[in-house]
Amino acid sequence: MEKKILRGRAWVFGDDVDTDLIYHNKYLAETDPKKMPQYSFEYYPGKENFAKEVKEGDFIVAGTNFGCGSSREHAVYCLKYAGIPVVLAESFSRIYYRNAINNGYPVLFVNGLSQAIKDGKIKDGDELEVDLEKGEIKDITNGNSFHGDAVADLEMDIMKAGGLIEYLKEKAAGK
Amino acid sequence: MGKTMIEKIIRRAAGREVKVGERVWCDIDLSTARDFGGANCVLQFEEVTDKKGKVWNPDKVAFTFDLQAPSHSEKVSNNQKIIREFAKKQGITKVFDVDWGIGQHVLLENGLVKPGDVILGTDSHMNLLGGVGAFATGVGNTDIVASWFEGTNWFRVPETMKITVTGKFKKGVCMRDLLTHIVGTLGADGMFFLATEFYGETIENSSLAERITLCSMVTEMSGKVGLIMPNGEVLDWLVGRAGNEVKERVKTLAADPDAVYVKELEFNVDDLEPMTSCPDAPDNVKKVREVAGEHVDQVHIGSCSNGRFEDITAAFEVLKAGGFKVAPGMRAIVTPATREVMLQCAKAGYIQKFLEAGVIFTNPTCALCTAEHYGALPSGDVGMSTTNRNFIGKVGKGSHTYLASPMTAMATAVRGKITDPRDILG
Repeated sequence: MEKKILRGRAWVFGDDVDTDLIYHNKYLAETDPKKMPQYSFEYYPGKENFAKEVKEGDFIVAGTNFGCGSSREHAVYCLKYAGIPVVLAESFSRIYYRNAINNGYPVLFVNGLSQAIKDGKIKDGDELEVDLEKGEIKDITNGNSFHGDAVADLEMDIMKAGGLIEYLKEKAAGK
Repeated sequence: MGKTMIEKIIRRAAGREVKVGERVWCDIDLSTARDFGGANCVLQFEEVTDKKGKVWNPDKVAFTFDLQAPSHSEKVSNNQKIIREFAKKQGITKVFDVDWGIGQHVLLENGLVKPGDVILGTDSHMNLLGGVGAFATGVGNTDIVASWFEGTNWFRVPETMKITVTGKFKKGVCMRDLLTHIVGTLGADGMFFLATEFYGETIENSSLAERITLCSMVTEMSGKVGLIMPNGEVLDWLVGRAGNEVKERVKTLAADPDAVYVKELEFNVDDLEPMTSCPDAPDNVKKVREVAGEHVDQVHIGSCSNGRFEDITAAFEVLKAGGFKVAPGMRAIVTPATREVMLQCAKAGYIQKFLEAGVIFTNPTCALCTAEHYGALPSGDVGMSTTNRNFIGKVGKGSHTYLASPMTAMATAVRGKITDPRDILG
């Protein structure tokens, strides 16, 4: 995990963003994670151009239950390999959460995000500053700030190792 | 302090006492992947082990080919081939190829699922196996690959919710309607990270098919697993398939009377009506009669939620009461969950009647839950289906889907518009 303070633009989504909206079942036969970003959010009404317009360092900001639905890990890869450094959501579905952690991909549970999105306190295109270590998020554009939950010990260890496979390899090697 | 089912199941799998909220490493009883996700698992495993890795126990790994069965494209065919070749190389014999049907159901029919088993699969509806008391859970490819190393994986011990159901369904109303009602009541995150135990006379007297339906939609409420310990005919059936150990498991893994639940809910089904999840979310629930008359272009009966013989029988009875004829212009598709179910339908004489009535009767598959195989909907079309998700565009960009019971779906196919099955069954 990188320690620096990250800065980038927000792409804002609502509650219950399901895996078909993140990465549609039409492309499930893809087996190369690096080819997955081209399909991100293709089926999300109003965000169809995400894959074309997203820039490395941009953030995903969402409400509750992000990633509900399918077990497809494609929905993590398609954001990770698009260069999104972290997904910020009020909450994540359990499979999406596992898939992210298992890939060493940071996801932060951020209190109050769902309502803030509904109230327009954090909007598409806002400039954000994210301190991953402290779990602090500042919306530079409008001055609002948010706070993420601490990550549980095991999940933090898996993230630090770079993912579950790397974690198990280190464990097997007695590190 | 007493323990819930999931606490006992995880204790067994971890080989030690566990506490709610704790992360624990569990032994995996069965690690499975489908044609979807399966090739990703194989390629990842080969990459991270330099093609030298051996799965920890070939007898505890299985593959099921169901999402796109039979394959509809060269890419999918190639993915399926990658799995077949890997299985051969690893000595994995439990490969249920494109002729078998929907994975969880096939595993269950083949005696590979016992109460208390910890089962992984690349299918978010693996947890329907909680219908026989197994802790089955959907995971991504990395979790599967990790489990192949040493046969373990990590879990958080979840809190448990208890749902008690009483009463008898009226004619035209069934377990799917109760489930839809529960999803509507609790919402898309109503079981967030929880295990849920189901009790009550309605559950105790329910069939395996009904228990599967009920547990299949726990995912749509963000739950971890729904659990019902087998009893009565379901227990007998499972012992017949998976052996006598089932009985011992039921005894040792049932929840203690003083187990602690985070939430307890009660439902009574005596006055329940046919229910439907309206576009575009499973928790957008209304009574069928509130949306009766709305136009529908295509009806699909099947899936891991409602594709068993009892489900198809319920649909058949509505078709029979409706004069064995679907509405002109209606595309009605029935998909059995497995080959075994398809054979039951054949023996019961259903298939000929379905075909004569204008119903398309397909091979067992998950295909109709995607936009990438047969049955995809064009933009602007409205479908009704017994599947478990109606997210916007799931089975075709710009299309919308109602979710309902097999009876409501067939009544809608017969009339060509959303129809309360009681209007046909009388």
